Parts: sequence; structure tokens; C-alpha cells
Amino acid sequence: MTASATPRRRRFAPYLAAARLAARDQTTGWAEAVGRAAFLAVLLFIFSSLWQHVPMSGAAADPRRLLWYLAITEWVFLSVPSIHLTLERDVRTGDVAYRLPRPVSYLGMRVAEAFGVALVRLAILGVVAAGLAFALSGGLPPAPASLLLALPLGVLAVLLGTLAQAAVGATAPWVDDVSPIYWIWQKAAFVLGGLIVPLHLYPDWLRTAVAWTPFAVLLNGPARTAFAPSTADVLETAGLLVLWVVLVGALARAIHHRGLRALGVHGG
Amino acid sequence: MTTSAPPRPAAAPVPPRPGLASTARFLGALLGTSVKESFANRGSFWIQAVGMFLNDVIWIAVWGIFFARFDHLGGWTFDDMVALYAVTAGAVGLAVITGAGVRDLARTITEGSLDVFLVQPKPVLLHALGSKTSAAGWGDLANCVLLLAVTGQGRLAAVPWVIVGAMAGAVVFLSIGVIVHSLAFWLGSMQVLARQVWEFTITFSLYPESIFPGALRVLLYTAIPAAFIGWFPSGLVRAFSLEGLAWCLGGAVVFPLAAAAVFHLGLRRYASGNRVEVRAG
Amino acid sequence: MPPALHVTRLSKTFRVRERRPGFVGALKGLFSRPSHDVRAVEDVTFTIERGERVAFVGPNGAGKSTTIKMLTGILHPTSGTAEVLGFVPWAQRRELAYRIGTVFGQRSQLWWHLPPTDTFELLRVVYDQDRAPHAARRDRLVDAFQLGDLVHRPVKTLSLGERMRFEIVASLLHAPDVLLLDEPTIGLDVVAKSVIRDLVRERSTQDGATVLLASHDTGDMEAVCDRVLVIHDGRLLLDRPVGELRRTYLRRKVVTLATAEPRVDVRLPGVTVREASPHRTVLEVDTATTPVEAVIQAALAATRLEDLTVEDPPMEEIVKAIYASAGRVAPAAGSAR
Repeated sequence: MTASATPRRRRFAPYLAAARLAARDQTTGWAEAVGRAAFLAVLLFIFSSLWQHVPMSGAAADPRRLLWYLAITEWVFLSVPSIHLTLERDVRTGDVAYRLPRPVSYLGMRVAEAFGVALVRLAILGVVAAGLAFALSGGLPPAPASLLLALPLGVLAVLLGTLAQAAVGATAPWVDDVSPIYWIWQKAAFVLGGLIVPLHLYPDWLRTAVAWTPFAVLLNGPARTAFAPSTADVLETAGLLVLWVVLVGALARAIHHRGLRALGVHGG
Repeated sequence: MTTSAPPRPAAAPVPPRPGLASTARFLGALLGTSVKESFANRGSFWIQAVGMFLNDVIWIAVWGIFFARFDHLGGWTFDDMVALYAVTAGAVGLAVITGAGVRDLARTITEGSLDVFLVQPKPVLLHALGSKTSAAGWGDLANCVLLLAVTGQGRLAAVPWVIVGAMAGAVVFLSIGVIVHSLAFWLGSMQVLARQVWEFTITFSLYPESIFPGALRVLLYTAIPAAFIGWFPSGLVRAFSLEGLAWCLGGAVVFPLAAAAVFHLGLRRYASGNRVEVRAG
Repeated sequence: MPPALHVTRLSKTFRVRERRPGFVGALKGLFSRPSHDVRAVEDVTFTIERGERVAFVGPNGAGKSTTIKMLTGILHPTSGTAEVLGFVPWAQRRELAYRIGTVFGQRSQLWWHLPPTDTFELLRVVYDQDRAPHAARRDRLVDAFQLGDLVHRPVKTLSLGERMRFEIVASLLHAPDVLLLDEPTIGLDVVAKSVIRDLVRERSTQDGATVLLASHDTGDMEAVCDRVLVIHDGRLLLDRPVGELRRTYLRRKVVTLATAEPRVDVRLPGVTVREASPHRTVLEVDTATTPVEAVIQAALAATRLEDLTVEDPPMEEIVKAIYASAGRVAPAAGSAR
């Protein structure tokens, strides 16, 4: 069965299977998931108090919307699994050598598995986040229907996040410890992606600077649905997400291939 | 069955000199050895230290953006926030440099690794705490210094209070870690939960007291003592008061005493050999 | 001079409670109590004089480690008394700690990423030793244990055998009067084991230290010690000089032959066939009657040998033999009395 002769569906089947399997196998992931849910709860709790104490006015800075905003950014952010650690571990233990000679892409499999886990997390954390946001802010934000748009945008965002962290993990062949690189990516996402403060509240110069980065759509993208964006805005966000998924995915792949060559040179 | 005792060796051992000086010397040597070990892998050391430094700087940047848009937060200005971050970073940095052993204390207890410390003639808790150090803590300390220097909080008068505040905060931070981890003596495996509480304590310490409702503040003065790690110590820097100093130092006395008490109660249970085993089903 | 160790009717029973994993399990564990008692040590009595070298031998779980932990003050006994160098271990743990050295085979006191010299320097401060005598002693020990080239290499780069030698050096730096070793040769290859055994024996002769060596490996006992205490199921079965034990109970060896031919016949007095399967024969040899070399030579003459193993009978069998010779039936594990 050569690759070119395989019909489309057949070619994607292994990845789907991997995703499904990883999603089901949550036995080790449960403790981590509960930990993340607890962290989410603590953060939402803190910020529900925090936004009450800030002098503000207008729809652009309504405390209720701000809390829902934070709930969504954290929901996306905490749902992305630690694929960078998995990739680092594979390189460190040498497992990567065993997984490579297979008819499916190693990186693709790992990303598929991570995405499967991410979807489960999205579901669980979504319920937690929505419930807490509702309870702590005293209800839904105005124009709640647009919150539903957060769901597809969130899925795309989590895919983007997974690919970005895969790119981070793909640097493992060069660095012993990918954690610092991960932290830099994470902090960039926080600041440039508007984790806590929505981008529309940023100073103008900063807002224009980050508008076209992947960070902006990653967190701010789905979360701005709390502020009832226009259809045009939503489509723009979706488009940018798709664009960055493709670009970051290509980047991850490129780094991964370079990394494999580096591994070969060093003899593993 | 018995053999006659062979002659004593030429170099007879020096009789022990217990006491404060001996313990102080020991703690110094322990810290020196820990730091030396964390420095053994240069690359990793610098990556962690610089990484943590950048991490802290970026958080302040986020707050900078926040305060560019909003005038104040519960009465706190950006300067107040900087003071809080500086002192808390100092406290966390000091704590994990001198006592990173606390982060794995629950596991140390349940795996029986305390035995190595118990057969040596030095205080077990301090030995366990000081047996590890964190490279990232230096990044926190650097951040503390930077924040003070850059934002004008570094006026000379404030410096001693930063030091006092950070030290008091560090002591409280380590103490709460010891208390939570020591529950492992009774409850068995606690490592994940204890680590989680540790992280939450840092989180809460980095937000101003004024935003929290009264009921929660009780918690934040006791079980998750953000008040004594961040608020009182930074209060000394923002606006010195004798009352604030009293609170600071009071916490720095009460919490370690509680920690020592809990740990030694736990040690007694450890010495009984009674234990809890984790079994699925 | 008072004896080094004096133990009277020492007993230790502890309660083990089970709980489910996770936080909920931890909470539940506070209320529900499915538990059982473990009689780790029962009624153990012995005295060891200064300078003696005593082995503490028994199968895994026999109570050796528990006894050592009581003698070092880590555990408090349920009943009975003990005195080590005149100190009551669990009451005077810190004072006693200055005078004893311990080596736990499965725990390390060496700092992993640093060379052993750094650990030694920290230990100097721990035991309040002055620089000059400590340095002299350290150099003497490093020399005796032939570790001179390795002393500046990080511990993580050393082999297990080299690490164990350093552990023993570390435990001797403060010239302890009593040296307690708990499974020091575990995981080591045959050569490393004999090196360590020789060194421990030699040092103890030189310094006059009393040695208590707990092990499930009878080779440790034979090479290092003059006297052996056999422990089984928490009880002290036997307290004899090593020579006597060797003569009475350790005459047998188990020889396993892997042969090219499916069968081999080795008929010699004192040799019984334990197992005969195709290409594999297990013989039990009474070495008092026929030495092992004779058996091997006979096997070589009779067949082509692919592989050959010579082993001591497992500890359980020695214990059973001890019981049998004392006219008692070996009790099942965990039985109450």
C-alpha cells in the first residue's frame, strides 16, 4: 500500500485513531486535569474580586465581560496538553528512534494524540470555566449568543496552541531542557495575547504591534466573543487562526526535520 | 566468642560540640554544598535563572499594561504593585535558594529518605530543607533587585525593609510548605497536593490584599499566608509603619514555630513505624 | 569497657493502614481503618563487644533493617531495651549519631552531581571534626580503598561499586566506634563485592571499630564477620561464630549444568540430583564429602558444558535447615505467637 495510492480517508485514519485512543486514556491525565481545573477556579475567583475594584466604565470594560473573557482565555490555555514535554522525553529517552520508522508521521501522531487529549480537556474545563464564570460574575455577558462562537474558535485555538508547543518540543534535540523555551512562548502568549487584559484595552501602539501575531488570535481570538464582536471580526479571527495553524504547523514540521538530522549527527 | 578490643586508632575523634555555632556552621556548609551542586551544570543553571528572571519581568509588564489603562486597583497603583512583586520575588527567591528541599518533602517522607538525615547528628528538618537548592531562585532575586533599582523604590531608605521583608516572607513561605508537606506523615502520599498548595500560595501573594473579600482574607492570613509573604513585607516598603513591622516579624516567628511543631510531631509518628500505604482498590 | 551493643528482648510491631490513592483517598483514610499489624521484630536479645564483627543475616523481610533502624534511633521499639555505646538510641539519637557510622545499601549520602570530596567536607562540618585530623583520615581511607583517581569525579559518573566504596569511606571519616551496614553489597558484581568485604574487614581491624553487617547475602557474612546472628520472621534463631555455621549449615552448594547432550550422569558421593531436564541438570553437593571442583571435573569429563553455575543454597533453605536441625518446624511467614 503506497502512500500515493491510499485514499484520503485511509491516510488520516491512523491519526484519528491515535487521537481517539489518547482521549480515552486519561488515567494518568486525571490528576493533572483536576489540578488545572483547581488552578482555573482559583484564578477566576481572584479576578472576579479584582475586577470589582477597578474604576472603569463602558461596555469595553464591563467586569462581567472581563471575567468571561478571562474564563475563555484560561479555558483555551489550560486545555493545551504538555506535548512539548512528551517530545522532550521521547528525545531524552531515545524513544523517538523507535517511533520514527513507521508509515505514519511521528510528529503527526504525537500532535494527534495531544489534540485528542486537548478536546477532552476543552470539554471538562469548558464546563468548569463556564459554571464558575456564571456563578462568580452573576450571569451571562450581554449578547450571550456570541459566546457560542467561542467553541469553534476555541477548538482552532487549542489546535494552534498544540502545534506551537509541538514546535517548542521539536527543539529538544538541541537543548536538554525545553522548559525555558516553553516559558518564553507562554509568557509571550500572556502578554501579547491578552491573557488577562483584552487586547482592545491595550495602548494603541501595542495593539497594532501584536494584531498580526499568532498570540493575538490564540487567546484573544476566542475570548473576545465575550464582548460581542461583529461578524466581520469573527470571520477575521477564524481566518487568522486557520492561517496560523498552517504556518505554525509547517514551522513545527521544519524544526522537527532539522532536529532529526541533528540527532543523527550526534548519534542519538 | 568475644575478641579483645584492638588498639585505638591514631587520630581520635573530636568530641562533639553541639550548640548554635555548630548548627550555624552546618547550615552555611549545607547551603554552600547545595549551591555548588546546582552550579555543577552551568548551562542548566543559567537557563533556569534567566528564564525565571524573564518570567517575572513579563508579569510586571502585564501589570504595566493594566495600569496604563486603569488608574488603580483597589487603591493600589503600579508602584505599589512593583513593591509587592519585588518583595515577594525576593521572598520566594530566598526561600527556594535556601530551602528547596521543602518542595519534595512529602515524597522524602513517604520514601523513607529521612533516614539518611536521622542518622546524622544535625537537625533533621533543616537538613532536609537545605539539601536542595533552586537555580530559578536567583532569577527571582535578580528581579527583586532590578525592580527596586529601576522604579525608584530603590531609594536607600527602603532597602533595609526590602531585606527584612523578603527574609520574613521567605521564612513564612518555607514554613507553610513544611506544614502542608508534613501531613504526609499521617496521610501518606501527599506530594502532588502539597506542591499544588505551594504554587497557589505564590499566586495569591502576588495580588493586592484589597481585592479579596473578608472571608477569604482569613484564609490568606493562615493556611495560605499570602499576607505574611507578600502584603505585610511589601507594606514595609510602600509605607513603613511599626505596626506593619510587628505583623511581619510576628508572622516570621509564629509560622516557623508551628512548622517545627508539626514536623516533629510527624517525626514521632515516623519513629513509631506505623504507616499508611497507598493501595488501589 | 561496656559492650558496644547490648540488646534485651527488643520488639517492634507496627500497624499498616491502607488507603486509596488520591486526595479523596487520603481524606477517607482518616476515617476508615482497614489495617493490619506487622510483627517486624520479636524478642531479640544479644550483646556485641567492642571490636567484634557481627553479621546479621536473614531473608528479605526478616527484620534486619527494622532492628538496625532501632539501633540507630530512627525507630522506637514497642518493647525491650537497647544500649549502643552506652546510649539509648531512640532517646539519645543525636549524641549517638556522632559515634556511629551507617551505610544504607539503598540510600546514598553522597551528593550526586558533585565529587565525593565535597560530600566529605560537608560531613566534616556535620560531625564537628577539625580540619587537619579529618583531612589526614580522609586521605588514609581514600588510599586504603584505592579511590585516589576518582575522588574528584562527580558521583554520577562512578560505577555502583566505586560509589559503595565511597559510601563506606564517608561513613568512616569521623572515626565511629560502631559501623552499621545495611545491605552494602546489594546490586554489586562478584568482584566489587569481595573488594568491599575485604576493605571493611581490614578497616575494622585497623581502627578497632565494631561492625554490624546486615545482609541477605551469606557471602558478606563469611568474608567479613566472625560471628553471625540469624534472623527470621523477626526472631533471633541463632547466634554462633561463623566457622561453626559454615561447618554445620553451609556445606551444600547448588551446581547447575547446561549441557550440549540432553543428559549427563555425575555420580559421586555427596552429590544428589535435584532436577534433571533436557540439557539442564541441577546437582546438590555436600562439600564436606566432595569438593565442588571434583564435581565440575567429573561433569567436564562426562559431557560438553555450555554453562555452569555454582551457588549457595538460598537463605530460606539455610533457615529451614537451621530450624530442622533444632528439631522445630519452620513457621509460616507472618504467623502470630
